[in-house]
This record gives sequence, structure tokens and C-alpha cells, in this order.
Amino acid sequence: MFVSSPPGLASPPRGPSRPPAGQLPPHRRVLPPELVARARPVSSASARLLPLPAPLVPLFSDGALRRGATTLVTGGPGRGATTLALALLAAASTGSGWCGAVGLADPGVVAMVELGIDLRRVVFIPNPKAGWADAAAELLDGVDVVLVRPPGRARPTAARHLVARARERQVALVVLVDRAPEWPEGPDAALTVTAAEWHGIGRGHGHLRGRRAEVQVTGRRSAGRVITRTLWLPSGTGALAEAGVDGARPARVPATAPCPEPA
Amino acid sequence: MVWCPTLLAEGERGDEVREFLAVLTLVEAFCPWVGPASLGVCTLPARGPSRFFGGEAVLVEKLSVAVAEVLGTTEAVRVGVADGLFAALLAARAEVVVDPGGAAAFLAPWSTAVLRRPDLTVTLKRLGVHTLGQFAALGGREVSARFGSDAAACHRVARGEAGELAGLRDAGITRRLRVASGEVTEGPRQPGFFGGTSVADARAARSFARVQQRLGAEAVVVGRLRGGRGPAERARLVPWGSREVDPHADGAGAAPWPGRLPSPSPVAVLTAPVTTEVVDASARPVRVTGRGLLTADPARLSVGGGPWRDVVAFAGPWPVSERWWSTRRRQARLQVVVDGGAALLLTVERERWWMEASYD
Repeated sequence: MFVSSPPGLASPPRGPSRPPAGQLPPHRRVLPPELVARARPVSSASARLLPLPAPLVPLFSDGALRRGATTLVTGGPGRGATTLALALLAAASTGSGWCGAVGLADPGVVAMVELGIDLRRVVFIPNPKAGWADAAAELLDGVDVVLVRPPGRARPTAARHLVARARERQVALVVLVDRAPEWPEGPDAALTVTAAEWHGIGRGHGHLRGRRAEVQVTGRRSAGRVITRTLWLPSGTGALAEAGVDGARPARVPATAPCPEPA
Repeated sequence: MVWCPTLLAEGERGDEVREFLAVLTLVEAFCPWVGPASLGVCTLPARGPSRFFGGEAVLVEKLSVAVAEVLGTTEAVRVGVADGLFAALLAARAEVVVDPGGAAAFLAPWSTAVLRRPDLTVTLKRLGVHTLGQFAALGGREVSARFGSDAAACHRVARGEAGELAGLRDAGITRRLRVASGEVTEGPRQPGFFGGTSVADARAARSFARVQQRLGAEAVVVGRLRGGRGPAERARLVPWGSREVDPHADGAGAAPWPGRLPSPSPVAVLTAPVTTEVVDASARPVRVTGRGLLTADPARLSVGGGPWRDVVAFAGPWPVSERWWSTRRRQARLQVVVDGGAALLLTVERERWWMEASYD
């Protein structure tokens, strides 16, 4: 049986042949390389973080999407929760990561490109039906970010299994539900779209130019602090943008207003 | 030859491949040289095992009982013995044992249609040649001169001189079975940015392939951009790993499409648009005139027979008249914000409204 002792105490000075300070004691040099490789941390803290688009950085305590963590995105229909959830994938997909989206029934591909998602790095499983949890579990083995939209309320066992698997595989799990109780597990961070309003459209004039949305963040790591941010979700270009407190207007798009085709 | 009629075509769940794998493992217990010819069809040399089991009839009996047990029904398996792949296939379908050298006599009464050469069959029929026996009676050089090399191969098969015929074997079956058994987990390859693939790419591809095995190849899709005006026309979803080349592909969306909907684009584009009713304040249906104007301001709408919702704001209509040179198509699009804040994209075509997409 081996009893390991702290490294400082393992080598009591042995007589006069002790090496001068700053030089490694000789017995430390003969550690087998396999052991060294095993003792080294598997990944550094920065490698466990996935980048986020700039407007979303202030929402997370790390300023990034943490691998192994679960992020819950909620908001009633039409408030932009889907846009927000997809935006979480954007920077990860352009940074050579792979993303998977399970249960997003009708993905709007053009909107995703506008959000900055690299289509070559994202796969969709739009209609997994009853197999959504299995499909998500398979994806957790292979990609860096998994976006899951459970059909209705998720079973507690399935949710717990996915969360544990995401932590074990070091994959960022993003869960999109209409209301928070539909996901029975406590997330590491919860993003809720509390209010949203479309700008640029009137009664018979203009066009949808941007949605000003209030996003509330609560999280396990933020220790009960609630952060509220106002975002353009999306802005006039289709990407996310920070909305200033003074209610800045969304970036104007170049005049591409639709006009009738000459028939 | 073992022929499983229920396993000949692969369904979307891939059960057939797995069941066929089970059949192959079982047949390998009889003889180690089992070769899958195509899905649901496998061959084995009959001479050795039949000596061991005491005759071909006994072997056939034992094989069909064993395979039927695996598949759960006696109708799902037929076993036959004959010289050559083609004759063996027919012998299995008829469940007979053809003696060595008796292939030509066995084939003679069959219609020429079993060769699966429709053109040749029709021509032969017009010449009064209906059966393989009559076809075999023609001279080999004449058949070759008149019908070409493929018909000459058919002729040799009909005479019992050859057993193989183009189209009987599925070249991809071995690989498909190896993938299904998990021996090779390499999925379809999607080239990376510079054409190479990294370890992470291979790992991702394997997980996608596993989902495809479970849910079907069409269940895992990737998005591709293409040219167009509406959000549904501008994008396509293609199965992961598909090599399909889209002639309208438009990588960066660079080509100008005047009349295209402006950004931001809807985040949910319905694969099947939903019929929608749009009415004005006095509950009359709203239409778009030939000049591209609304007959009245929309006041309420109901998507797919759902509850009526008030229209808070709307923009449009933006008429689109496409393909006036062929399939004349006139439609108009309307952006609508309903109470509660949800924004929808509606399309009207032939006086019917559809919900095409939503901005969630």
C-alpha cells in the first residue's frame, strides 16, 4: 500500500549532498513521464470557457460560456428567447467549436447567419420526437455546445442525466424552455427575457427593425445577484447589440427596404 | 442463398440493417464463408455445410428454421440452393434446391422479366421470346451482336454458364453493415475549413452518425444558404454528410435579390406554413389587391384555427411577382406584431394567408 505525503515533506534533507536551493532535487527528475502527464491538470481554466458575442459578455460572471455548465434560457413566446439561446452558440461556432441544436423545430437559418453563427459548425435535430434526450446525450459526446429545447416539461431523470453528462464531458448545455419550471434541474445560470418590444414597425409603415428586450440573469455563481441588461434582440442587422440606457435607436440598416419586383 | 423479403429495403429507423446483421451472425454459425450480396440477401457455399448436416434439403430446413426464429416469422425468410448468384436468388424465392448443373433447366420456365432489364424484356417479347429458356436457345454471338454486352451477360446467365449479373450485388453493403455494427464508426465526412479534419471534427462526426443511426439520416440536418427573397427560399436544411450540390447555393448571400426581406430575419421558419385568417375591424377577411394594397387594415388574426389575437402593428404588404415566365407566382408578405409582442411573417397567395415564419 502506498501512502502519499505532501510533496514538501516527501524529501527530508539527506546529508551534505543536498542540491543548492532553486535546483530540483535529483529524485524529482526521475518521475516517470506517464505519471507527470497524469498529474498535470487536464485543462486550464481558460480552456474550459467558450467565447460569447460581445453584447452577452456582461451577462455571465466569467464573461464566457463555461464548459460543463447548464444555462437555462426562458421567456414567453415571441419575446426572443430563441434568438437569445442561439446567440449563445454564435461565437463558439465561429471559434472552431461544434454546436448541436436538438428540438428546435423550424430553425431560421438566415437569422442564425445574421446572429453570427457559422452554419458549417452547427447541426440541427429538428424533430427528435420522444428521442430528444437520447439525441442530446449523443451530441454531448461530440460537440462543444448543445442547445436543447425539450418538448414540454422535461422528465426529471432525463434532465438530471443530461446535466450530469454535460458536466462529465465538459460541454456547455443551453436549455431553452418557455417557463423555468419546465426544466426541473437547477441551472448554473438562468437568462430570462422579461420584456420585449419591437421597434421600427407602425400601423402600415416601416418594418421590423429591432427588438428591445430586457434580459434578467440569475445564477448559482452570482450568489443571488440579479443582473438586468437591455439588449437589442436582435438589432437591425440581425445580430445582438447592447441597448444603451438612454434608449439608443437600433443601428439603421442600409436602404434595403423591399420594393415590388418589376413584373 | 438466404433471402429475407422484409429486409430488402432500409427503412428510416435502420432496423432492417440491424436485423440483417443478426441473420448474418446466425448464418455464420453454419458456415464461415457467408457473404452479404445486398441488404436482406446473403450467400454461402452449400456443399460443405450440406455434407456436414446430411444433405442440402436438411441444410435448407435448418437454416430457415433458425433464421425464422431470429426474425420472429417464418414468412420473412426463404432459403434456396442453386449454381450461381442469379439462379440461387430465384431458387431462394421459390424455396427449391437445384442440383448442380441444373441451373439452366431450372431457369428455363422463368419470364425474361426476372433479369430486371425492362428494355431487353420488351424487345424480346416483341420477338416472341418470353422465357429464359427461349432466350437461352438463341445463339450467343447473335445476342451479343444484336443486343450488346449486357444482354450477352444475361444470355450466359440464362444458359447457366455464368452466375453473376450486374446489379445483383450491392457494392456498399459491406461498409454499411460495418458501420451499423459499430465496427467502423466513421460517419460521412464533412470537409473542414481547409479541407482537413481534426480530432474534434471526427469526434463530432461520430456523434452525428450515431444519432443518424438512431433516428434516421434525415434527422440530423445542417443549414445552407441560397439565393432568394423570402426566409424559406433563402435557406435549406440538408441531411448531415449529404454531398448534394445545390445549384442555387449562394454561400455568402452575395448575389443581389431585389425585393428581399430586410434584416432581421425570422428565427423560426416553418417547414410547413400554417393557414391563417386575417380580418379587419369589422371581421371581414383582409385581401391584397392586384396593385399590392391591403383592402383594409388587419385588426385580428388566427393562426391555424387558433385563438384570435389583436394586431398591434403591421408593415407591408410587399408584393412579389416571381417566375412570370414559367410558373407564374404572385404573393405578398406582411410583417405583423400581435398583442403580447410576438412578431409573425405572413404570406398571402391566391387570397389565402399563411404564417410563414415567426420572430421568436
